[in-house]
Amino acid sequence: MELEDLKELIELLKETDITELQIEKNGTKVKIKREKLISSIEMPVQKSTVISEKITPEFEEETQRLITVTSPIVGTFYRSPSPDTAPFVEVGLRVKKGQVLCIVEAMKLMNEIESEIDGIVIKALVENGQPVEYGEPLFLIEPI
Amino acid sequence: MAERILKLLRKKGDFVSGEEMSKELGITRAAVWKKINALRKKGYIIQASPAKGYRLLKSPDLSIGDIKILIKGDIGREVFFYESVDSTNTVAAELAEKGTPEGIVVIADSQEKGRGRLGRFWVSPPHVNIHISIILRPEIEPKDVTLLTIMSAVACVTALRRVTGLKVTIKWPNDLIVSGKKMGGILTEVKSDPDRIIFAVIGVGINVNMDVDMFPDDVRQIATSVKNETGEMHSRTAIIVEILNELEHWYKILKRTGGKPLLSEWQQLTSTLGRDVRITVGKETFTGIAESIDDEGMLILRLPSGMLKKISAGDLTILR
Repeated sequence: MELEDLKELIELLKETDITELQIEKNGTKVKIKREKLISSIEMPVQKSTVISEKITPEFEEETQRLITVTSPIVGTFYRSPSPDTAPFVEVGLRVKKGQVLCIVEAMKLMNEIESEIDGIVIKALVENGQPVEYGEPLFLIEPI
Repeated sequence: MAERILKLLRKKGDFVSGEEMSKELGITRAAVWKKINALRKKGYIIQASPAKGYRLLKSPDLSIGDIKILIKGDIGREVFFYESVDSTNTVAAELAEKGTPEGIVVIADSQEKGRGRLGRFWVSPPHVNIHISIILRPEIEPKDVTLLTIMSAVACVTALRRVTGLKVTIKWPNDLIVSGKKMGGILTEVKSDPDRIIFAVIGVGINVNMDVDMFPDDVRQIATSVKNETGEMHSRTAIIVEILNELEHWYKILKRTGGKPLLSEWQQLTSTLGRDVRITVGKETFTGIAESIDDEGMLILRLPSGMLKKISAGDLTILR
């Protein structure tokens, strides 16, 4: 086996996931082992862990401040009292304690969901007419 | 006082003398005469004979006084009656919001903005149909609240069968159906916290003495009334009393033993299970076989692929 052949083999291996190769040809044994590849895989994993560690406290802080409105029943989510009327609430606008946010319907039983606080609607998490599960988050509200 | 006079007349079933009434009620004979005339204005036909006294010949088709006398339990012990309202459910919800206790009932002769699902209009002309809303404050978990839909369907169908003799059935979840047409509908509106139900208003609309030509064009083919099916007028009082008494009965069972007896009774009274159905939920439509209902009353649909799908709400059409 020529030196050129070996170089070519090593280059070829770099492009693959293979970390170890053993070839036997005409009594010559060649074993190529690449440790580097493994560490290069580990690197991004470590990085991403660091990133998520950084993000988590901020995220928690954010959600702790916001109130999540959840569905008390399994049903279908409606943002307005009927298909041709305006939504009960709009994102970015203020709501008062006791104000109706949406309806969740199950079996011709219309469950009006009210805001438990004075606040601002930060996000509507479910689209009109979509099925929702018990306890599923519907709105994020920022208390004021 | 009017109620006590009615009770006396009913008890005897024959003439009651003015003197006997005045003694029994502790009012003058002139006052009795006044009360009798007030009852006549409400539609009671009372015969008066100078020698024998008064006799009740006929009660009006809708009499709140009679309802209060004839109910057996707590539901309907107090009735708010209106000639006309926007919607009995709206009035009842406002009363409930102010703390009105459970069992209180709102009845209207007609509704200007009678409502169905998703703000749809419910035809509610005067003098012919039943529009009634019942306030309940059930101490059950919010996730079990759908059992109220099962309960109201069972109570209304049982009451209608008993009074009219018609084979009324339930279309999932609680439409009242006779010969494939809709005779009545029930819409329940609930206010709840995450952990408890604050109140529920069960609104019942039943077409009783309405003629088919009174229906708007778009529902004439799919709607019917008690009169249309039986060929005769029926007492709205009698039907309401049966509904309230049935609700009382099943509500006690629900509170005492949970939903099982109701779910099994519902299955006896439905015409939906085992049928090919189409159901529209929001923008999606599914077809399949209505296989069963689960512990909360939700419909389990068997799709053409053989997969099962749980349906919580939607417009259901029976295909065959």
